[in-house]
Amino acid sequence: MQIIEREKVKAEIADLKKEYGNNRSALLPILHKLQKKYDYLPDVVMQETAHALDIHPVEVEEVVSFYSFFQTENKKGKYVIRLCQTISCELAGKKNVARQLENELGIEFGETTEDGMFTLEYTNCMGMCDRGPAMMINDRLFQKVTPAKVSKIIADCRKNFIETDFPEIIPSNIEMTGNILENDITEGEGLKAALEMSRPDILSEIKESGLRGRGGAGFPTSVKWQLTAAAKSGQKYVVCNADEGEPGTFKDRYLLYRDTGKFLDGMTIAAYVLGANKGYIYLRGEYLYMTNYIQEALEKRRENNLLGENILDEGLDFDIELRMGAGAYVCGEETALIESLEGNRGEARNKPPFPTDVGLNENPTTVNNVETFVDATLICAKGADWFNKYGTEKSSGTKLFSVSGDCDRPGIYEFPYGISVREVLKKVGAENAKAVQIGGASGSCIPTSEFHREISYEDIPSGGSIIVFGRDTDMLKVAKNFMEFFIEESCGQCTPCREGNQKLLEGIEMLEEGRCPSSYLDELVELGETMQVASKCGLGQSSPNAFLDIIENFKSELLGRVPEKA
Amino acid sequence: MAKILIVDDDYDFVSGVKTVLESADYEVLTAYSRQEGMEIFEEIKPDLIILDVMMDEPDDGFTMAQDLKREHAKAAIMMLSSVGKVTGMDYDKDEEMVPVDAFEEKPIMPNELLNKVKNLLNN
Repeated sequence: MQIIEREKVKAEIADLKKEYGNNRSALLPILHKLQKKYDYLPDVVMQETAHALDIHPVEVEEVVSFYSFFQTENKKGKYVIRLCQTISCELAGKKNVARQLENELGIEFGETTEDGMFTLEYTNCMGMCDRGPAMMINDRLFQKVTPAKVSKIIADCRKNFIETDFPEIIPSNIEMTGNILENDITEGEGLKAALEMSRPDILSEIKESGLRGRGGAGFPTSVKWQLTAAAKSGQKYVVCNADEGEPGTFKDRYLLYRDTGKFLDGMTIAAYVLGANKGYIYLRGEYLYMTNYIQEALEKRRENNLLGENILDEGLDFDIELRMGAGAYVCGEETALIESLEGNRGEARNKPPFPTDVGLNENPTTVNNVETFVDATLICAKGADWFNKYGTEKSSGTKLFSVSGDCDRPGIYEFPYGISVREVLKKVGAENAKAVQIGGASGSCIPTSEFHREISYEDIPSGGSIIVFGRDTDMLKVAKNFMEFFIEESCGQCTPCREGNQKLLEGIEMLEEGRCPSSYLDELVELGETMQVASKCGLGQSSPNAFLDIIENFKSELLGRVPEKA
Repeated sequence: MAKILIVDDDYDFVSGVKTVLESADYEVLTAYSRQEGMEIFEEIKPDLIILDVMMDEPDDGFTMAQDLKREHAKAAIMMLSSVGKVTGMDYDKDEEMVPVDAFEEKPIMPNELLNKVKNLLNN
């Protein structure tokens, strides 16, 4: 049994405070470090962390209980195997991998082996949708797992991975490139071009380009920057939202490696325009394996005078800190992300006020997606006309899409906005698809009859996720997978989301059992529509989307089912 | 008599301000969007522009003020907005990002408006 000495914990926290600061925003990084050391967060650790940051221990406990990566009990095995249960991995054969894991270990999911070596758990999307089924063992990622590989992986665990090679950089299938991925701009080039322009001229160029946020919401980037820049405040922040958690999305995973310099340039350009001197990268907890790479990139920028004081001798002071999420999908929503950065539960705020006015630590803050910062850098280097020669009137430029599911060529594609769903399916090798989920779990489920529609803000918006469903896909199982995802990820703050998703799932289970009258289904549709308008944040507002689309387009497939035999 | 251009997407507000200014014998022109405002500005070259912030886009007023500065416009600009109340933030004139001659909060009393307009035109 592990004995934890209070005085030793105090000393460790004191050291961590030197690295992360004395205020509450240091809470999550300190908890990450302490959990890594002790494998879980015992009471004494939470109490001493609370005392050190001058907050109540209950506040620490409520934060710990919110994030799925934090554990308060040491009931888990030496190796915690987390298998991705979201839809792309499901379509790639997760069910058989799960069964074989149970066979090899003699336990079910949610259990730990008697020898204390292994725990089996399900987890939500790990951003490996093109390489599924994916799983994590502690902080190591496994891709394209098959039932046949399971016994070897288990044996490797028992040998402490002595013979196993882990790729430092997770490969990505780049299936189609365009303006953004084919650019020849080097690190610092876009930043230099920007610093030669006035702040209003940069804003004018970004506005002219028509760049809209690439994370999904599509808010005009120039407006966000303009409002933050015009606000009067002694402190402003630039935040890069690298909490890519939407099921079926993995394009930022690629950009964070491939275009590291360009997204960091974009953050620095934003800092110049906004008048900010501090930035944060909020990286999703599942991308823990990238931390060393990004930290080294930041350090290299400091050495090259691209970060720190007097950047490029232009009088700009700006530095960036990397912060890790801890397994909460809702933190992709910008106000929830800000709450998390402040050391709180990742619960979305009421808007207004918007983060451009009252953001991190109540200061004006711009939060943009990784791809948005890359695009902003390229626009400064190559001009608005170069960017908006592709796309549509309200959706300019090209966009990176993560394609997964039942298709011949899953991977990353750069498409111009305005491309039709049918064209996309032809490119990815899925012309015989039954339906396509565009925009991830919170997006739209498009049936065959609507494949003529286009991907753009005028028609079907998307943050970049495209999941293809083949002819044999059971659409009720798709709806069930999405609803289980939202129940798991709902923060529980507002009733429409917390209770509504539960009711929709119960309806799906009634449909599975073939005992749902169409009148009750109509009521569920009304409930879903109410959730879309009455939920507090984007998560709840978009959580019934796929359910409603599937009910509308596949009703005859859903009603009157004969239950599957156990 | 001095020519004043009001650029604001609130029809009632524009109507009220126009009445007040015309009662003091100013020539008043009106526009309800940034684009319309820039077109009238190019054509008429007013002496003073009364400019809202949030119109079709939440930053239209700031953008228009920056565009006018880029064009070396001679007109004085009074930014008249409730943006601070809406956002909870402080906004004020600023040479680079909010290049206006005065930044006033809505609502504004008629006499106060007339005094500020007179001062801006005299300066």
